Amino acid sequence: MNLKAIAKRVHKIAPSVKVEEHRGCVRLTGELDSWDAIYRCGVAAVSGKSLGVLNDIRLKGFVEEMKKPSLRDRALEGKRPDVLIVGGGIMGCALARELSRLDISVLLIEKANDVGTGASSRNDGCIHPGIDLHRGQLKLHYVLRGNAMYEGLCKELGCDFERWAQTFMFSTKWERYIIAPLMLLKGKLLGVPDMSFKTPAEMRELEPHPPKWLTGAVYMASAGVVSPYKVTIALAENAIENGAEVSLNTVAEGMELKDGRIVSVRTNRGTVYPKIVVNAAGAYSDVIAEMAGDRTFTIHPRKGTDLILDKKKAYYALSSFARSYFAPLPPEAREESHAAVGHTKGGGVMRTVDGNILVGPNAVEQPYREDTSTSLSDVMSIIRKQKVAAEELSAADVITYFSGVRAATYEEDFVVRKGIFTENVIETAGIQSPGITAAPAIACDVRDWVKEMLGAKDKKDFDPVRKHTPRLAGLSPKEREEYIRRDPAYGEIVCRCEEVSKGEIIDALDSPLKVCTVDGIKRRVRPGMGRCQGGFCSPLVVKIIAEHEGMREEDVLKGDEGSFILYGDTKKGGEADK
Amino acid sequence: MKEYDVIVIGGGPAGLAAAESACKAGAKTAVLEREARLGGILKQCVHDGFGLIRFGEKLAGPEYAERYIDLVEALPVDTYTLTFVTEIKKEKDGFAVTCVSREGMLSFRTRALVLATGCRERTAKQVLIQGTRPAGVFTAGTAQNFVNLMGKLPAKRCVILGSGDIGLIMARRLTLEGAEVEGVYEVKPEPSGLTRNIHQCLHDFDIPLHLSHTVTRVFGKDRLTAVEVAEVDDRMRPIKGTERVVECDALILSVGLIPENELAESLGVKLDPSTKGPECDQTYMSTVEGVFSAGNALNVFDLVDYVSECAADAGGNAARMLPSGECVRLEKGKGILSYVPHRIDLAKPSDRVVLFFRSAKDMDRATLRISADGKEVYKKKFAFLRPPEMQRVEIDFSAFGLNAKSKLTVELEEN
Repeated sequence: MNLKAIAKRVHKIAPSVKVEEHRGCVRLTGELDSWDAIYRCGVAAVSGKSLGVLNDIRLKGFVEEMKKPSLRDRALEGKRPDVLIVGGGIMGCALARELSRLDISVLLIEKANDVGTGASSRNDGCIHPGIDLHRGQLKLHYVLRGNAMYEGLCKELGCDFERWAQTFMFSTKWERYIIAPLMLLKGKLLGVPDMSFKTPAEMRELEPHPPKWLTGAVYMASAGVVSPYKVTIALAENAIENGAEVSLNTVAEGMELKDGRIVSVRTNRGTVYPKIVVNAAGAYSDVIAEMAGDRTFTIHPRKGTDLILDKKKAYYALSSFARSYFAPLPPEAREESHAAVGHTKGGGVMRTVDGNILVGPNAVEQPYREDTSTSLSDVMSIIRKQKVAAEELSAADVITYFSGVRAATYEEDFVVRKGIFTENVIETAGIQSPGITAAPAIACDVRDWVKEMLGAKDKKDFDPVRKHTPRLAGLSPKEREEYIRRDPAYGEIVCRCEEVSKGEIIDALDSPLKVCTVDGIKRRVRPGMGRCQGGFCSPLVVKIIAEHEGMREEDVLKGDEGSFILYGDTKKGGEADK
Repeated sequence: MKEYDVIVIGGGPAGLAAAESACKAGAKTAVLEREARLGGILKQCVHDGFGLIRFGEKLAGPEYAERYIDLVEALPVDTYTLTFVTEIKKEKDGFAVTCVSREGMLSFRTRALVLATGCRERTAKQVLIQGTRPAGVFTAGTAQNFVNLMGKLPAKRCVILGSGDIGLIMARRLTLEGAEVEGVYEVKPEPSGLTRNIHQCLHDFDIPLHLSHTVTRVFGKDRLTAVEVAEVDDRMRPIKGTERVVECDALILSVGLIPENELAESLGVKLDPSTKGPECDQTYMSTVEGVFSAGNALNVFDLVDYVSECAADAGGNAARMLPSGECVRLEKGKGILSYVPHRIDLAKPSDRVVLFFRSAKDMDRATLRISADGKEVYKKKFAFLRPPEMQRVEIDFSAFGLNAKSKLTVELEEN
C-alpha cells in the first residue's frame, strides 16, 4: 500500500496524527479535539490495498462508557460450547439459528436484557433491493442473497414480510431520460431483479398520493419490509427451540489467547471455553475483534433518526419511496437541501409491516456507540426534508421517533471473514445498513465455515418453523373465536390502539426467550406501540407481568436493569427501598 | 345476534348518562365497555369536586360514577364489560357492531349509536420532547392510575409539564403521597387548568408554577435522572441560553387531551377542527345519520357535570331519532376557541339549544354575539372568561327566523 499518499491525505486534515502500517492495516494514532476531524482522517486512510483502517486517534476529553450489566455470577463458568456468539442483534440471532441446524452446542451472549435492542430494533426494517451498492462489495453479495431468502425465512418464523417495493422518484426531465436508464442498466449489471421504469400515470396507480413534481420513477419490486426487532426475536426463539442457548445480561470482558487461538472468554457470568468465537457485536465489534487479537477495522458510530406516523396517515405511502438526489430540490424545498449528511442518501418514506408510515432516517457521525438520544433539530429537519416527497406530512402526524447507531467501518463494507491473526474467530462485523437484509445470508456462510472447521454434521431434528401465536387482530372473527374458546384471555383487550389481548401478552411471557419487561412485551406483541404510546395499557401490562411472574409491580422493569417504573406502595409515603 | 335500539360505546360518565336517558326514553339500550368495570376515568379520580351542578354536592370521582352506575343498573340496560368494539359497519337502517370479549366474538345490531369513547392524553413525543427513552416519563393519567388504582408510587421527585387539570391534581396527589414536585412548567403564559385547581393543588402546597417554560429534553439511560427546562418566547419556542437542568426521577405530562374518535372516523364521521370531536347538530348527532357523540369524545369538557348533561341529551335523542332536515351551520367567529353544536337542524326542536364554548383568550368582560345574515340575533355579557373554563348558555334558536340559506355566526367581543 502507498503509506505516503495516505499520510499526505491524513495530514491535510490533521498534521499531528501519526500514520503507520500495522499488520497490513493503516493505523492512525494521536489526539484531536474534533470528532469530525477524526472521522475524516479515518476516511482519508482508506486504501484498497490495506486490510483496513485502525483509527485509534483519541478524542480529547472523551471517555466512552460502555453500558454493562451489574450482574455477577458464575452461571456460565466452565462452559465449553462449540461456538460462542458475542452479540444478540439480528446478526448474532441469525447465526444462532443457522448454527442450531448443526449437531453442535451454541451459546449466544448479549449484554442487554433482551436481544435486538441496539441497531436491530432501531432501523426501518427495509429489505433492500441493493441498487445503491457496488460490485465487489460484500454488502452487495449478501444483500442480493438475503433479499431472496426473506420470504421463506419469515414464513418459517411466523413474521410479517411484505414486498411493497421501493421507488426512486425523479423531479426533472433529464433525470427521467438520463438517470433512469443508467439505474436500470446498473441494476442489470449488479443483478438486482425486477426493476422497471414507471411513468407518473403508472405511479399514480401504485401510489395514490405521489408528489406533484414527479416526472417518472424507477420501481424496484424486490424491495420489502419486515419488523426488524420481531425477526431478531423470532430468530433467537427458533434457535433456542433447536437447542441453542441465549444468555442475556452477559458481557464479554476479556479473552485469553494462546498460540493464535482464543482459549477462553471471560464474562460477568463466568469464564467460557469455546472452540470458535463469532464476533457479532455490532457497534462494539471492533472492540471484540481487538480482544480476539484480530482487529483490521474500526467502527465509527453513525446515528440515524426515524419518525413514526399515526396509522391514520397510512395513505401517504403504500410502498417506500424517496426522491432522486441527483437533481436539485424543487425551489420551495431548496433551503432544506443541506440536510443530506454523510453516507445516507437522505432516507425516504416507507410503510412498515404494521401499517404505520415511517419517515427518515438521517445520518450523523458521533463518537458515542450507544447514545441513541434524539434532538429537535434532527426531527424537524427530517420532517422538512421528507415533506418534499410526502407533501402532506406534518409534525402533528408523528406519534413517536427514535434513533439508532449504525456500526459503520471506514471501508463502508461488512467484515465477514474467518480470523486472520487468530485461528478460531469469525468476524461478522460492521453490519450496518443493509444489515437486516444481509444477516440471514451471512449466517449461512458462517454456518458452512463452522461446519468445516468443526467437522460437524447436520442436526436431524432441526425444525425451522417457530412455534407462535399469530397476531389475533389480523385473524378472521371465526379464527379468533376459536382462540378465545381455548383461552378467554385472548378475548381480553389490553392495548386498545394496537388491539392486543392479554392472552397474547401471556404467550410472549411464556415464549422460549423469556423477557419480562414492558419493552420486551412491547417489541414482541405491540402493546404501547400505538397512538397513545402506552398511556392506557402500561399499568395493565405491568400488572399482567407481575401476576404472571409472581413478582411485585415495583420489580417490573421497562427495559434494562435500573429501568424500574414504580417505587413501593404509596402508603409507605415514598419510603420504599429505591 | 342481539338487537338494540341504542348502543352506547363507552361506560364512563358520558356513556352511563347516555344509556340512562336512552333507556328512559323507551329505547332498548346496551353499553359496551372495554374495561373490567364501568365508570371510565372517574374510577381513578379520587379527589372531590365532582357533581356540584348535577347532584348539588361535592363528590369524589368514584362516588359520582357509582351514582350513575346505580341509576343504570336499576334500569333494563344491558351492560357488557371487557368488551372491545373491533368494527362497526353501516347497514340499512342501522349499524352492525362486532366486539371481542372473553365470551368470544359478539355481534350486535342497533338503530342508533352513541359514541362515548372519551379522550386520550397527548404524549411526550407529541410535544417534541427529545433525549433518551428512560423509565419515568408518564402522562398524568397514567401516573394517576399507578397511584390511585394500583397504590404504587411512580416518582419521588418529579417535574410536571403542563398545567392542565390532571397535572395539577397529580401535583397535589403525589405531594400527599410523600413525593416532591419540583415544579409545574407551562408553555403558555397562562395556566391551562381551572383557577380553583391552581389554588388548591399548587398554592396550598407551595408548588411553584413556571409559566412560559417548557421541558425540552430528558436524561437517563434506564430511569430518568434529569430534565432540561427552558423559557419560551411568545411563539412558544425555547429561548437559547435559558436552559436549566433539573434533577428528578420522573417527568409527568399534562399537555392536552385528544378526543378518541377512531371508531367515529371509521364510520366517516366528520370531525370539527376546533374540538377535534365530531361535528354535530343540536341533538349531538354527527354528520352520519344515527351516530351520536357525547362527553369528552365530542368535546373535552372541564366539568363532568357537563359531560353528563350533554350525554343525557345525546342518549335521549338517539332513542328518539328525530328525522333530519335542512341544517344551518353555526360558523366560528372571532374570540371563540371551540364550541358545540356546529349546526342547527331546522327540522329538530331548537328552542332550548345548549351552546358550550371556550374563549380563545382571557377576557375580563366580553359579549357573546350570534348573528344571522349579518344581523345580531342574540347577545349575552360574560365576565372573566378563560380558555380552560367551558361556558354553557341556553339559546332559543327558533326565534331567529332561520332558513336553510341563513348565515349564522357565533363570536365573542371583548369589552
